[in-house]
Amino acid sequence: MNGPRMDRWLLAFLYVLAFVLLREWLVPVMELTDTNYLGLFLLFIALSFLLALLNAKWWISIPVKLLYVLWVIHYVFFGKAFFSVETINYLLQDLLSNISILLNRDWMDITNPLRTILFYALLWMTTYLIKYWIEYRKSIFLFYVMTVIFVAFIDTFSAYSADGSIFRIMLAGLLLLGLLSISRLAARHNVSVSRGIFATISIPLLFVIIAGGAFANVLPVLEPMWPDPVPYFKSLSEDAGEGGSGSGVSASGYDTDDSVLGGSFVQDNTLVFEAKVRDKQYWKIETKNTYTSKGWEQDSPTGAIAVQNVNEELKDLQTTTADTPRLEAQIMMKEKFPFILYPYGTRKVSADSDVFLSYSGSTGQYKTMNDDSEIELATYGIEFQEPVYSLKQLRDTSMDEFGTSSEDLSPYLQLPQQLPARVTELAHTITEEQDSVYEKTKAIERYFGRNGFTYAQQNIAIPGENDDYVDQFLFDTKRGYCDNFSTSMVVMLRSIDIPARWVKGFAPGEIKRNATGERVYQITNNEAHSWVEAYMPGIGWMPFEPTIGFSGQTDIDYDLDLDINDPATPEMKEKEQERKKNSQKKKPVKKETNFELDKLIKDVTTWIGNHVWYFVGAGAVVLFIGWRFYVARKKWLPKVLIRNYKSKKMDWGTFTKQYRSLLNQLDRIGFKRNDGQTLADFAIEVDNHFGGNNMRQLTSAYEKGLYGGDLVNHEWVALKEIWEDLIIRASG
Amino acid sequence: MTHKEMIEKVLNNIDKVIIGKRDISELSVTALLAGGHVLLEDVPGVGKTMMVKALARSIGADFKRIQFTPDLLPSDVLGVSIYNPKEMEFEFRPGPIMGNIVLADEINRTSPKTQSALLEGMEESSVTIDGETMRIPQPFFVMATQNPIEYEGTYPLPEAQLDRFLFKLKMGYPTKGEEIEVLSRAEKRVPIDNLETVISLQDLIDLQVVVKEVNVDDTIKGYIVECASQTRNNPYVYLGVSPRGSLALMKACQAYALIKGRTYVTPDDVQYLSPFVFGHRMILQPEAKYEGISTIEIVERILTKVRVPVDKVQIR
Repeated sequence: MNGPRMDRWLLAFLYVLAFVLLREWLVPVMELTDTNYLGLFLLFIALSFLLALLNAKWWISIPVKLLYVLWVIHYVFFGKAFFSVETINYLLQDLLSNISILLNRDWMDITNPLRTILFYALLWMTTYLIKYWIEYRKSIFLFYVMTVIFVAFIDTFSAYSADGSIFRIMLAGLLLLGLLSISRLAARHNVSVSRGIFATISIPLLFVIIAGGAFANVLPVLEPMWPDPVPYFKSLSEDAGEGGSGSGVSASGYDTDDSVLGGSFVQDNTLVFEAKVRDKQYWKIETKNTYTSKGWEQDSPTGAIAVQNVNEELKDLQTTTADTPRLEAQIMMKEKFPFILYPYGTRKVSADSDVFLSYSGSTGQYKTMNDDSEIELATYGIEFQEPVYSLKQLRDTSMDEFGTSSEDLSPYLQLPQQLPARVTELAHTITEEQDSVYEKTKAIERYFGRNGFTYAQQNIAIPGENDDYVDQFLFDTKRGYCDNFSTSMVVMLRSIDIPARWVKGFAPGEIKRNATGERVYQITNNEAHSWVEAYMPGIGWMPFEPTIGFSGQTDIDYDLDLDINDPATPEMKEKEQERKKNSQKKKPVKKETNFELDKLIKDVTTWIGNHVWYFVGAGAVVLFIGWRFYVARKKWLPKVLIRNYKSKKMDWGTFTKQYRSLLNQLDRIGFKRNDGQTLADFAIEVDNHFGGNNMRQLTSAYEKGLYGGDLVNHEWVALKEIWEDLIIRASG
Repeated sequence: MTHKEMIEKVLNNIDKVIIGKRDISELSVTALLAGGHVLLEDVPGVGKTMMVKALARSIGADFKRIQFTPDLLPSDVLGVSIYNPKEMEFEFRPGPIMGNIVLADEINRTSPKTQSALLEGMEESSVTIDGETMRIPQPFFVMATQNPIEYEGTYPLPEAQLDRFLFKLKMGYPTKGEEIEVLSRAEKRVPIDNLETVISLQDLIDLQVVVKEVNVDDTIKGYIVECASQTRNNPYVYLGVSPRGSLALMKACQAYALIKGRTYVTPDDVQYLSPFVFGHRMILQPEAKYEGISTIEIVERILTKVRVPVDKVQIR
């Protein structure tokens, strides 16, 4: 069905319809994954379709698209509209570091630029598929059905509401299907349909679709025959959860008693609170400081207890903060607690009631008090600034600085007497390669992901009388949930003299549409979580997430010190070096070469950067000369060809190539052979122009080989001379 | 003597009596070599009979002529068994079809019954009379003529029977110069009587075998098939060319290639012969007839559209 191309305007219209359909894929993806820059993605699709419409050659369309993707990466991640050497350099290094990440199969560590590139690659392929469906298959049913299923699925199982979307899909999709099947019919019967006729045929189609859509819109909607699956399944699992409260099994959720950790843990979907906030946040409640080999005990709040009213700026700030934008969170409690659930960087708590906050420095808990009694707030607002840590500063943290710290960190170094020595030894082994406090901490945080630990909630060991909870997890069971991971990390950090504490709270939860239709994060008892805070000298307490499957780091923006001239800083480079250090044990040789390669690339890019205008100028000159040469190729190419074939052994293969090149050359000087014209006929035409019968001789030899199958009995030498003679004449 | 020289001799011989009809005699020899038959559609008096006679004489073949009339019976064509009182048994008297080269003149004048007796003999190369099957001597070549001018009292051949003929040709009038040459030659002597045999019947049979060995490349087969299938998809055509038509074209091309001194078929052969082979094997839609488009024109249009195979590409 590869007939002549469709009418260009029709094709353009079909692409617009396909664009509408593809947009319906992108919008929910953007909404549900906190991805921004929808416009840039749509622009890319539009660009791809435009190039497809213009039938651009691959050597135009591919560079254009690549350049666009590069520019988007650049614009999104650096906020600059134009390329600069620094950013290109940075991107290169980022991609390099990703290569090692990919080789290590640490999928979660892939950096955002690469993810974006991959997403663009996906879009690219999709647009290509759509082009194929529209222009060659002339059938897009599969894509249409998939779009409907996808949007219906998203609508059912997520907070995304596809009411308008499904209507747009129906209109655009059915119109697209109808128009395509008309042109498919036309192509099958080899009939060319003029634009006017096409429009006439399309009118009933348009009418049916619009009438059908309108009719469907006013029809009464039946109640669903089955219950909405999501709450249904949830209620089922909640029922299941009720029975399971025997010994050793605890329902998930926030619990103040952590003195005995371990045991299985049952899903509990009860909603604890809803948070209206822009991004995912970890909700902190308190920290615990005393590890007992079996679990955590809370000392009675010691030290200063700060008391202040709500709606005032908090005096006691837990984290130092750079100038990040001030964000707001609205918390709606479903279960009542006499304390605040707060994100990192909290600056202010606002509530209606006449309430004051009692903050204990040792537990990090903000209790809500009214006079002398504890009070439970139903709703409150929080203003916060997401903490930003300078990576450069983090890398400069040194173990020596703990001595000079003014804060009393001794409670955070507490360890039970009976802690097995192998825990300490392990901690030393993991961290001995690292210098800074931060790198040591990260090394321990990463340790769990790479050494055969598994995340599980059922059948988790409870330490026996002579067992240590951490020791048992690290060396015997290697399976557990957040408490196992976080406790182990705290204990290991303490064993190498890094102050650390155990944090309790809630994980970010999932974004859903609540009863009033707002998009909020819903946090259930399943989101009860524990993680780690470690003290970075000169910086303060910083959260870490050792639990497998949780990505604490995505919620904390690391500063991208874009001062590339300072070779030590950028995060990506940082990461890469860490990674190299980690792999040092395994492949010491490779590390060396990698460093040199790095340096080489850096030198080269810097040098290119310094001479960029020479390159641009030289490039332009080369391009211009190349273009002139290309245009004039009918003059010089025959001479090149003759020289090329001079020394070649003459046989059928060579002769075929010669003959083809002659046809091409004749084509370039204006002898066009129609599809229906035979070579012999064409040869007569050519010979009439040049005189003689050279072309006829060559052609009859070619025919003898091609149609007669005689590839051997030819006068190769004579043919070569004839060919040379003719191609020279055809060049002048 | 090469094959080409032998054929050339025959053609030159025919040229001695028929002037300016080299193409028709070439096509007739092509059909003869390919084992096919020719339908000549033309007005009387342009030299049809002369040409067939000349051909028969050139190869020393037995020449028979059947003048079809409305009252002609099948037995007049095939032959009849007559009771011989001396021998006391029936004796078969072969009809005019039992010849090497048969001129079936004005075939559309006779009844369909008699027509089909001839056509069956052409198709089978044998006749069955009184339950007895008799082979027709080889080579066997029928040149049938029909007069397109008179319709009164004629029985036009149905399309399905037309494809018994390899070619359908039109002879056409000679040019003025050629006609003058005809007159001057006839002035001196009756040329046909002086014509001599240039190759033997056995030579011709050998040539028919050689024709079957002419190479037809897969690309050429693909080209033939594509041309044939295009006739089936053409909006003006009610009934396109059958696979038998493609086969006929291929055989004709082989014979024509041999005439041109080649051992292989080229697309030029296909392009030259396909109007003669396909022309009478298609039925047009009424619209085409109203628009005055002939089957030949449609074949020519298709030939300009179908891509000539100029390199080794796999055929779908």
